[in-house]
Amino acid sequence: MTDTTPGLLDRYQFQLRRLHSLSGIVPIGFFLLFHLLTNSTAFLGAERYDTHVQQIHDLPWLPVIELLFIFLPIAFHGILGVTIAWQGKLNVRQYPYMDNWRYTLQRITAWITLAFVAIHLLHFRFAYWFGEPEYASAAPRFFDFTRQGFLHLWLPAWLWIWIYVVGVAAAAFHFSNGIVTFCITWGIAVGFEARKKLSLVAGALCIVLMLWGFVSLHALTTMTRTAPGAAEVARGNEQRISTPYMARHEAPSAARE
Amino acid sequence: MVRNMTASTTVASHKEIHFKIKRQDGPNSQPYWEEFKMPYAPQHNVISALLYLREHPVNTKGQRVAPVAWESNCMEEVCGACSMLVNGVPRQACAALVDDLAQPIVLEPLTKFPIIRDLAVDRQKMFDALIRVKAWVPLDGSQDVHEPAPRISPADQALRYAFSRCMTCGCCMEACPQYHDRSDFIGPAPLGQVALHNSHPTGGFFKSDRLHALMDPGGIAGCGNAQNCFKVCPKDIPLTHAIGALGRQTTVQWLRDLLIK
Repeated sequence: MTDTTPGLLDRYQFQLRRLHSLSGIVPIGFFLLFHLLTNSTAFLGAERYDTHVQQIHDLPWLPVIELLFIFLPIAFHGILGVTIAWQGKLNVRQYPYMDNWRYTLQRITAWITLAFVAIHLLHFRFAYWFGEPEYASAAPRFFDFTRQGFLHLWLPAWLWIWIYVVGVAAAAFHFSNGIVTFCITWGIAVGFEARKKLSLVAGALCIVLMLWGFVSLHALTTMTRTAPGAAEVARGNEQRISTPYMARHEAPSAARE
Repeated sequence: MVRNMTASTTVASHKEIHFKIKRQDGPNSQPYWEEFKMPYAPQHNVISALLYLREHPVNTKGQRVAPVAWESNCMEEVCGACSMLVNGVPRQACAALVDDLAQPIVLEPLTKFPIIRDLAVDRQKMFDALIRVKAWVPLDGSQDVHEPAPRISPADQALRYAFSRCMTCGCCMEACPQYHDRSDFIGPAPLGQVALHNSHPTGGFFKSDRLHALMDPGGIAGCGNAQNCFKVCPKDIPLTHAIGALGRQTTVQWLRDLLIK
């Protein structure tokens, strides 16, 4: 059509769009599920959380795994996603159909999730760039590290919690709806009936993922070691761990609540 | 579905018909709004009302102006020429009954095509796209090919008939958020025609050519799954089904290219 040579992005548009769609499911979607699973162990008690996070930290080649299966795919999906989102001219006001709403929300949640992932990485993964938080000496007591990150780092706790509620909800929607668009794009779900059923399953998945994330968030921000999780109580676990660190740091945060 | 959106209250009691029309004198001039009122008569459609206004081109300010330009042919919603935005909805003006429309009736040209004048637009882009994807059945021999006619199951026939109703009217392109001047997306209408011709026994000879055309820049990858195309289609063509089917066909074609070529 045009006489200018298309750039790489244009020349491999089909292949890149397919890989973009795929990368949202594998590995990013799987990572999201795994991440939610690990987080939700906080609900079972600080010790369970610490154990599971420690297992991840004990994985061999962790930096390579992190780079190849988390950082690079997210960067690819995010950067290409920005160029894709840029191509759409939203028209949901003129055509307020359900599917068009989902198309629109897919783009809105993309921007929110992108911002949230950046904030989330700076908040926990790369917080040390801004100087070691005082409580970081608690590592490898991950539960306390995470909890303190919500309660005593940079922003008031209520604001962190709202950022995470919005971010988790956006990510849950984007992933669930992304499964539907993945199945259409790759030609897995072709007909109307297939799409309808798939959309219902995705809707249910979206709600489950949101609740799952909120439960973890609730556990990470409200539970303390001295008030163990439901599972621990059920098991009648009498063991209580108290350390000098906890004595130093847990008291003021409890007072704040 | 389209009809439901515009058919608010029946306004048969009106004494006159009030039009608000977005006009543009030429391809490069500035658009402007002009209003017209004409005496009410029952059973007008938008085109028959425009015909009346052509005889009495006087706007609501009492000025005699150049008549509104538009395109139309068949007057029975099968040629696609009179597509325009009627109260914001892309549809055929000939099938838009005045008695069903809320007034003032707002007429605008389609926004995704170059404007020739007033409500007339140039839909050439769509016809170019049909050429690009070889949306035809190749001649299978002008001499005796010693083959009986290809056999087609009734189920295939029904789906293919649905696709064959496309009149290249442009409503799906108008409603598609991915089809506009900043994007190279081919748009939904040609995709329906690829699905039609790929599924035809003889048309299938060009299947891989068509799929490769869709795997080129501006092809099927431009679809964003908003699915407005099917919703606004005046012929209820299952365009989203076509896009899903072509998603599958291009996946297979891609794997074939990677593994067999």
